[in-house]
Amino acid sequence: MENALGQVGYQSTMIIIVFVVLGLGIAALFAALFLPTRWRLPYSMEFLFVGLLLVMVWYGDLRSTEIFEAYQAPLNEEGVLEVGYEPGDGEFDRVIRVLAFQWGFAFINEEDEISRNAAIVEPGERVLFGLFANDVIHGFNIPAAGITAEFEPGAERNVWIRAPEEPGRYLIQCLNYCGVGHSQMKAWLVVLDPNAEDNEEGGA
Amino acid sequence: MASAHDAERMGATPHWEPEDIIGKMTLSTLLFSNDYRHIAIKGMLTSVVMLGLGGLMAVLFRTELAYPGIQILDARPYMSLMTLHGMFMVFGFIIPFVVSIMYYMMPKILGTEQLLWARGAQWSYWLLILAAVLLIISRPDFTWTFYPPMSLRVGGSLVWMGYIAVLLVAISEFLAGAVLLKNGMAAAKRIGYSKLPLMGWGAISEGILLIGSTPILGLVGIVMYTDWLEVTALFDPSRGGDVMTFMFMFWFYGHPAVYLPLMPAVAIVYTLLPRFLGRPIWSYWSAVSAFAILTVLAFIVYPHHFQPAENVSGPLQRAVQILTLAIFIPSTLHVFNWIATLWSDKIPDSARRAVPFKFIIASIFFLMYGGVTAYVNAQIATDSDFVHNTYFVPAHFHAMFVGFMANMAMAGIYYLYPYFTGRMYNQGLGNTHFWFWQIGIFTKVTMMYLLGFNYFPRWVVDYLDLPQWSIPQLILTGAAYLIGLGFILFVYNIMRSANRGVTVSGDPWAIEGGHDADAAKPVPAE
Repeated sequence: MENALGQVGYQSTMIIIVFVVLGLGIAALFAALFLPTRWRLPYSMEFLFVGLLLVMVWYGDLRSTEIFEAYQAPLNEEGVLEVGYEPGDGEFDRVIRVLAFQWGFAFINEEDEISRNAAIVEPGERVLFGLFANDVIHGFNIPAAGITAEFEPGAERNVWIRAPEEPGRYLIQCLNYCGVGHSQMKAWLVVLDPNAEDNEEGGA
Repeated sequence: MASAHDAERMGATPHWEPEDIIGKMTLSTLLFSNDYRHIAIKGMLTSVVMLGLGGLMAVLFRTELAYPGIQILDARPYMSLMTLHGMFMVFGFIIPFVVSIMYYMMPKILGTEQLLWARGAQWSYWLLILAAVLLIISRPDFTWTFYPPMSLRVGGSLVWMGYIAVLLVAISEFLAGAVLLKNGMAAAKRIGYSKLPLMGWGAISEGILLIGSTPILGLVGIVMYTDWLEVTALFDPSRGGDVMTFMFMFWFYGHPAVYLPLMPAVAIVYTLLPRFLGRPIWSYWSAVSAFAILTVLAFIVYPHHFQPAENVSGPLQRAVQILTLAIFIPSTLHVFNWIATLWSDKIPDSARRAVPFKFIIASIFFLMYGGVTAYVNAQIATDSDFVHNTYFVPAHFHAMFVGFMANMAMAGIYYLYPYFTGRMYNQGLGNTHFWFWQIGIFTKVTMMYLLGFNYFPRWVVDYLDLPQWSIPQLILTGAAYLIGLGFILFVYNIMRSANRGVTVSGDPWAIEGGHDADAAKPVPAE
């Protein structure tokens, strides 16, 4: 899985750590239940154990913060989130404003063209999404880009992704329960094929 | 290693004589008796009924989810079932169940001989019943977290009953908290904090959690109702309110809420392990510290529930991440303590045979299985990726609620069963129930983790026909049926054995086949 920063493996590292810890725990439980050898642990073992846990906490916080700050950095660039920002010459290649409503998404591109079901981008682009809603709390998730945001009515929320290199359709979905139509609140991230000639949207 | 008063504070001695209390109960004792055992039995049996109802709802909507597309349930009934499933299971089944087990155990284990302020427990029970009735009538479909403004705009004209039910649940839980705190503190005053059995520490922690968090929930219920009436507009942004006010208020209750069934379940492990093993817990003070740290952390980590929202950012976000990761420490200290206790000496054959002991071991397993992934949940980077509001979250809390707490509730009721019926449950049925549940819960939780990792969204009635989604969903439905079957066996077992089980006298859990049989033999009840 590749996230918006193009980093692969952070999630997997964390999952592996989790399963190693789980494996050790289960091994200890089974040993305690079934090993013929009985072992009275000295109390000092617990301090060692807490020390190990503190290292885990430290590492988890460090890695997560590092990645999250790197992700936030382009959003903190001056002018990026202001009206009139010209994408292409800086951090982002494209800006799409997204109105989430009960129940769907409207994607508004730089030419103020509105699409009710697709955000159209090109392979590998860095796309900034300005998310907003007027009715209820919605979520915005693109599995292929590994990003989730939750935003309440009235607030504008900005997230960005690196579009997949492979042309095709990728799911965009609401992740926050927003009423009975929640399960239908889906759209597509369409990554155009730069080599295709008959592109409906005239991209490429 | 074990000091002189360990046997006393660890509660390793039998406390009751098996007798047919339930058979002697009349309708009026069932409804209004303030005897601690009557209140506890009533609470436990009601919780079993709630578990049945909540489970039936789960089986219905799991059947719907077995295949993509809409088969038997439309979106609205589906969401009503989902909402009621959550509310019945958390407020109606798991919290009252473990609290009732504490009501049953505390008087003898803490030496108060009776449940202090039993009237509070009685009121707590009846308010909860009223809340459950209101919920069934109003059939809300706004999920158990009822985020406004969505929750203010859905449901029928009776949805206000749902808000009143929230208020009643808050009052009911507050009363239960007052009862637990009073009993814990009274015992501590009588025997001293350093000798207080761990169940007493559990009661104090639980009491603090309940009393500290439920007033906010009550307030949320009231404001939701007045907002719905359009008298106020605190939570509705279209009329000048702020959703984030709701988020911070609701989750200030909502995070302690998930520890409300945890603390008693942990206290029950600390009480039953020494009982089955015939030796004290490995470290008393480690357990006390873990209770204390967990209680403090429970109140301050709540913004992680809505972390991908904008208001949780900067230093607050970082602090929440570190504190949430730190919860890892007290929780694993509990597990460490239990494993060390199990490992320190031979496990008696009598314990290996006992169904409640098996449930305790399964609980410890699931506390680890559900707990370790909190490491991933807590990190902002992974939370903003595949964790938040995907099935990863239900996987985590189902491993905890069902795998740990419901298993512990079962351990508690199987343990107490001979004491209040005078008879033993059927061993074969008990074992079958155990295995059905463990296989079912493990499969269910694993499939949920897998779905979450594949970004399957929560709260959907219908989903895309993707192989990484539809195959685990089908298996998950199978697992739900297996758990349901186990539950039916359990109900059949406790009903049948109450009349036809083997009569027991003396100590039903007497230790046999221990390492040092004579020394470990429990002291007979006074």
